[in-house]
Amino acid sequence: MTGKIFHIQRFSIHDGPGIRTTVFLKGCPLSCFWCHNPEGISVSSELLYNPDKCIGCGACLQCCPNGVHLMETDQHILQRQNCTACGKCVQECFSGALEIAGLTLSVEEVMQEVLRDQAFYSRGGGVTLSGGEPLMQAAFSRAILQSCKEHAIHTAVETCGDVPWRQIETILPYTDLILMDLKLLDSDRHRAAVGRPNERILQNARLLAQQELPIEFRTPVIPTVNDGEELLALAGFVTELKQMRTRAGIAAELRWEWLAFHRLAGDKYKSLGRAYRAAALPLMPLSQLQELRKRVEREYFL
Amino acid sequence: MHQLSEVECHRTVLTFDERIASLYQTKLKHTQEKWEAIGSMDFDDHGLVLPEPESRLPIQTISGSGVPITDILLKEYSIQSNHPSGGVFGPRAVGSNFRRLLELHPTYIDPMSSLAGAYRVNFMSYRNPAWNPDCAYPHLEPQIKKYKLIPGIGAVQHFCQDLSIGLTLGWGGILDKIHRFRTINVDDEAQALYDGLEATVLGIQNWIGRHGDEAARMAAQEENPQLRQNLIEIAAINRKLVTDPPATFREGLQWVLWYQIIGKMYNMGGSLGRIDQLLYPFYQRDKFKNMLTDEEAVFHLASYLVMDTSYMQLGGPDENGVDQTNELSFLVLEAAHRLKIPANIGVSVGKNSSEELLRRGVEIQFADHAGMPKFLGVDNTSEGFTRNGYPIELGRQRIYSGCHWCAIPGREYTMNDCVKINLAAVFETALNDFLSDENVEPSAENLFACYEKHLRCAVQATAECMDFHLDHMYNDFPELHLDLLCHGPIERGRDASHGGVEFYNLCLDAAGLATVADSFAALEQRLDREKRLSWKKLKETLDANWSGGEGERVRLMMRSVPRYGHGGTPADDWGIRIAQLFTDLVKEKPTPHGFNMIPGIFSWAANILYGLDVGATPNGRFAKAPISHGPNPDPGFRKDGAPTALANIVAVVQPGYGNTAPLQIELDPGTVRLENGVQLIVGYIRTHFELGGTQINLNIVDKQKILAADKDPNRYPDLVVRVTGFSAYFGSLSPEFRRMVVDRILQE
Repeated sequence: MTGKIFHIQRFSIHDGPGIRTTVFLKGCPLSCFWCHNPEGISVSSELLYNPDKCIGCGACLQCCPNGVHLMETDQHILQRQNCTACGKCVQECFSGALEIAGLTLSVEEVMQEVLRDQAFYSRGGGVTLSGGEPLMQAAFSRAILQSCKEHAIHTAVETCGDVPWRQIETILPYTDLILMDLKLLDSDRHRAAVGRPNERILQNARLLAQQELPIEFRTPVIPTVNDGEELLALAGFVTELKQMRTRAGIAAELRWEWLAFHRLAGDKYKSLGRAYRAAALPLMPLSQLQELRKRVEREYFL
Repeated sequence: MHQLSEVECHRTVLTFDERIASLYQTKLKHTQEKWEAIGSMDFDDHGLVLPEPESRLPIQTISGSGVPITDILLKEYSIQSNHPSGGVFGPRAVGSNFRRLLELHPTYIDPMSSLAGAYRVNFMSYRNPAWNPDCAYPHLEPQIKKYKLIPGIGAVQHFCQDLSIGLTLGWGGILDKIHRFRTINVDDEAQALYDGLEATVLGIQNWIGRHGDEAARMAAQEENPQLRQNLIEIAAINRKLVTDPPATFREGLQWVLWYQIIGKMYNMGGSLGRIDQLLYPFYQRDKFKNMLTDEEAVFHLASYLVMDTSYMQLGGPDENGVDQTNELSFLVLEAAHRLKIPANIGVSVGKNSSEELLRRGVEIQFADHAGMPKFLGVDNTSEGFTRNGYPIELGRQRIYSGCHWCAIPGREYTMNDCVKINLAAVFETALNDFLSDENVEPSAENLFACYEKHLRCAVQATAECMDFHLDHMYNDFPELHLDLLCHGPIERGRDASHGGVEFYNLCLDAAGLATVADSFAALEQRLDREKRLSWKKLKETLDANWSGGEGERVRLMMRSVPRYGHGGTPADDWGIRIAQLFTDLVKEKPTPHGFNMIPGIFSWAANILYGLDVGATPNGRFAKAPISHGPNPDPGFRKDGAPTALANIVAVVQPGYGNTAPLQIELDPGTVRLENGVQLIVGYIRTHFELGGTQINLNIVDKQKILAADKDPNRYPDLVVRVTGFSAYFGSLSPEFRRMVVDRILQE
């Protein structure tokens, strides 16, 4: 079995506990305009181009079968609509200006990379599947998770939650921790911000909350999107989930973390030839975020 | 830390923390003076305090790392040569000259400190030439030149004394010991050595005694009663220590400080060893008598550390494998934490070692961002040592006491960190030889066979050089300082370099592993497999240092193959293979005179210097650019720079005979801000050692800060980084050294 991966990050320390390897799978049903992994949104492989690294050697022009690369008055222009992401130009681009986001790898190949750091997982770390949305490749994700469990590796899945429940269900037996995004409670505003309504996400959150499985809900706090009353609404929802969990007698931890917005993804958008709409958003000082958090915690006893 | 105001200084009672703050400010002032008078200092800080401006004689010399530097001599002193060359050779002449320097060496007493003394001038800088021209070695020079060996001839110190000898005997007892054995060993070599040792001790006693007098004089003039009392105590302690052994914790520290400072003055010695064991009996005794609080002990230790950056081990096993971490281990860390200056303190990490000490060490790393402490894989170094045929009990006594190295205190001569084979220089020689032979089909595999042949020659030539050193060093520049506290030199009348001690295990390190591994991988992939370039064309491009029309593209082509350190790449396999080859060749046989050699992988910060000797290499490196650092991959070895990938490869290439191949790692402070950050790094450190690692040099550095400091060092006069085995003020480093640190941090 194979899947489409755009990155495997070792010493990953922000996606679950301990020292982990995070496998980033291609494709996401949402299109959050602030997404910091824009190369993970499309299910197809894509060509990345970093003009700062280009030395203008022209090797890509010669090898491209589709005429994607043009050199006009010392400017390297990409006709992306013609690109099939075959990767031939990348093979010739020694400066590293061209890259392919999205390699087809087998479960065994992913595991080979994952197992390189196995020794480091034993103190509370493990493997996280992220993306994109890993459950858009549910069978592949399941196979990786299953293999991890066979190697006694702790597993986490980072999901946006906008996938059919039956797909989530298939990975639960092999998952030790769910990391799930919650962005907005208002479905219309959710659709406006990320391109999809949120009913399925909230329903999946409720179903997950009823599983005997640690869950960490994560909310990227995005200025102008959800940096005010929206968080209070989400807090109400998380409280409801917690109560539901208590009633069901589930002991596993349920946490809610906030992630501060940053603008580090700008170069990636540039490499994809896409506009980075979030570049215009203001940054929220950490102190303000902490203050907000305190306020929400006071009101909801979180 | 705040600068004490005049008012504060004259208050009746200053707290220990205020006095530490004052020591810190004085240290910054001294450092500033050194920047102005000396310029760049690409080496250990050493706690040097320059002589007073009117006594300074600036000279141009070559630094320990081989770059031209300014050094400051004492105007009042000059050498009395015993040789037409102007040099000073042999124990008698060296001893009498060193005694004269000690008798002139200016005193140093800071009333805020509880201890007296400072290293102010280096005897070695007066010795020119350093090696006796009558003792030339033309028979060795062709091979040295051919392989650009760092052969260790004339290398000094880099082994470890047993301080317990001195703490028991005191200077009077040591002098008595010399007198006693002088009557037993009456041969010329012994008598000459005794003359040198005796002169050294007499000089030391004079110097210490003068501090006693100076402290008394200063006390008489001091208005602040607290500081006056302090000076009176310093006077009493030092008048006593001229002859007697120390009795209290403070006296013990003062004794060790004298010994260490003299080592720096004599030949830049910096081995200390297990300070938490050596001084523990003093600490316990004082505590039992209610003479000492922990706060006071921290203050004394801070007074010590501000003057001495020697290498020390905290915790670790005794000979039976029982961890020896004690309260003092934590207090030493605490003192260094409060000071936040360059310090070379290693925390032992092993199966039975203290989790609490390791955790505290990581917390301090996180809090201070000063590259302190470093972490020592004590199980692997002691167990590795047994592979030389020694019992594990002895391995456990072999302790951390230098930049990257261990030694058995007082019983072992090692030449640690002094003898190197530049793998990249040998590679260059092999490549040239290989391509000049038209009968051989060029391929990476065939080149490796040629490389093996040359590396074997280089190892053998180096072994001969070490034998030559051991034959002659005693009569050139004997170890008059370290001999005093070793088991054997006085008893046998033989310098440590000439049969004075029990064990001879000579360190032979490789440098430039990643440069060569990546070169082989690039040749294999681009030339052999993909056939993108002929070997002839590549050679031309290398000779042209990647210049010419296609030069840069070819360079990038060679550079862009999957690198050593990435994990699972052919370059990783080459690295493992080369490290194994080097290890096997060093262990193939002892030196011609029968001395055991122990392989390690460590370039020190000399990878910059060694790079100057090597032309362009097939890994895309330019001629004269630095070679790779220690066993580390080159910066940019992975896009994510994953520290786990780094830890894996460095663990795998360990030679495994008790000497180290240290992991140099730079972490972003982002790690620190995680709620479980300390636990995470504790786990990382433990895992590296479980995988086979031997030592970790860790920096937690903010990229933006280091970039800003590189641009304008004066803006960050207090920024400390672990350059390699040693730590230093970032601003004290030359632009080249700063660049090396910056590149590592940026991973580009």
